[in-house]
Amino acid sequence: MISIQVNGEQRDVEIDGDTPLLWVLRDVLAMTGTKFGCGIAQCGACTVHIDGVPTRSCRLPVSQVGDRAVTTIEGVGATSAGRRIQKAWLDLEVIQCGYCQSGQIMAASALLATNPSPDDADIDAAMSGNICRCGTYVRIREGIKQAARHG
Amino acid sequence: MIARRRNWLILGAAVLLFVAVATWRLALLPGPLAFAGGTQVDLTDYRGPSPAGVPAELANADPIAKGQYLTQAADCAACHTAKGGKPFAGGRPFKLPFGTIYTPNITPDRETGIGAWTDAEFLRAVHKGIGRGGERLYPAFPYASYTLLTDDDVLAIRRYLSTISPVRQANKPLGFSFPFNQRWLMTFWSAFFNPGHRFRPVQERSAQWNRGAYLVEAAEHCGECHTPRTIMQAMNTRQKFAGGQAEGWNAYNISSDRLSGIGAWSAQDLAQYLAKGHAPGHGVASGPMGEAVELSTSKLTPSDIAAMVTYLQSVPAVHTKASPRMAGPAPTLASAGPTNNPVGKRIFEGACASCHAWNGRGAITAEQQLTGNRAVNDATAANVAMMILNGIGSPEHQGAFMPSFRASYSDAEIAAAANYVTARFGAKPSRVTAEDVRKMRAQ
Repeated sequence: MISIQVNGEQRDVEIDGDTPLLWVLRDVLAMTGTKFGCGIAQCGACTVHIDGVPTRSCRLPVSQVGDRAVTTIEGVGATSAGRRIQKAWLDLEVIQCGYCQSGQIMAASALLATNPSPDDADIDAAMSGNICRCGTYVRIREGIKQAARHG
Repeated sequence: MIARRRNWLILGAAVLLFVAVATWRLALLPGPLAFAGGTQVDLTDYRGPSPAGVPAELANADPIAKGQYLTQAADCAACHTAKGGKPFAGGRPFKLPFGTIYTPNITPDRETGIGAWTDAEFLRAVHKGIGRGGERLYPAFPYASYTLLTDDDVLAIRRYLSTISPVRQANKPLGFSFPFNQRWLMTFWSAFFNPGHRFRPVQERSAQWNRGAYLVEAAEHCGECHTPRTIMQAMNTRQKFAGGQAEGWNAYNISSDRLSGIGAWSAQDLAQYLAKGHAPGHGVASGPMGEAVELSTSKLTPSDIAAMVTYLQSVPAVHTKASPRMAGPAPTLASAGPTNNPVGKRIFEGACASCHAWNGRGAITAEQQLTGNRAVNDATAANVAMMILNGIGSPEHQGAFMPSFRASYSDAEIAAAANYVTARFGAKPSRVTAEDVRKMRAQ
């Protein structure tokens, strides 16, 4: 039995400790907002926050989460940065197909929580690991800046 | 006139003395356990439990299981298996400055393997480096270490090898150029550099130390990669475990020097590294060492790992310039790093930071830590570039994993990424070039 805290709730799961957190979220806890992309921490679709730090859940064994707080796309709207990012995303219609966007929003809100007014270089450094095959990068950058302005 | 003649005589004597000393130093090297002092005795005269054979945990195992354990301890599979090939069927290339040599098939196939060999022939090959037809073998086959293995242990390995399925796969011809293709020259090499005797424990040392010595020197043959070689390609035991090379990777200093070697590692860290291929803050065993852990040291019993650690920690410190004091923590801010390498930074932010983190402490798991890692603090960046090219592990398999970026980036990009990593996280920035990476790809 492994116990993890997800979006403020303590959840107990009966699963092998080597299982990546992403599988636990999607298949055990039925929280399918977090997406599987590459499975090797190279695309960013599976990004969640671990104690506020954007983390690729596809490569994180659930046994290593410990008592750190997991925040997923289902819960990030409860944070100030997450709420502003989600509003900017809707206002600017950032999303095209949407598959990568849970990860984009998680990475962007973590950036905004630590850096209230990021410049282009800060955005590149924080967001380059999140790949969007629709190429929404220009709107992602604008969305982050708009959310920062409304901070 | 007389004074001039005397000067010539003195000069001649000095030259002769120099040649004599140089020859002596090249030809006569200390034995593997010479550093330990004490009295080395024949195994039969040793008072105490035998350092050879299998550990106590396996005392009651069947002979084949014992043979398998020793085969794993000697890590035969690593060299005698080609990439993607059948285990022990050979064919793995080793690219050396003299040309390429391929390992032979040691499965029991009677025609292409060693099925038809007698036990005596097998013993002679492993101990003396002489092939079935009397031909000399090259010391790429580590017989200068294996010669220390007892007859019983070599024959136990032979018994195990005779139980695996035979693979019909002809050996590849030697690819050495003249004069290195003259096998008979190895007669002289062996006369000087193969100790040619079985393991001789040190009476004054503990049973555990002697067991560790047997494992490290005879079976695991650690020195073959980790001890620098003389110009004659012998292990330079005056610099025992001070670091060497293996297939394009640097095999780091594993002497007890605190800065250059493993002197600052705890016994627990060393044990974990050998058993699991990773110890917190010390990086992941990768390249040939990754294989050595996967195929060999991870299969050893805890008592044998502990014995290896005891022995390794007793090897005298040798300081090496190539392994300086490691850098401290790295900055968390992306912009705080090196600014003269925009290509390296672009690659790091897109492909590396999501796992390794901008501060190099690892973003997901402890294996991903770059700071305090010897490879990252190596100004040649050989192992960093090799790691970027080759990656490690597989995503389905538990344990350390990193994808190979061989197909994703050009030689120049991989060089830039390696140089960015050493500059941001290491003691000294590297200057890897695209040409270096091109050569590494061919390894």
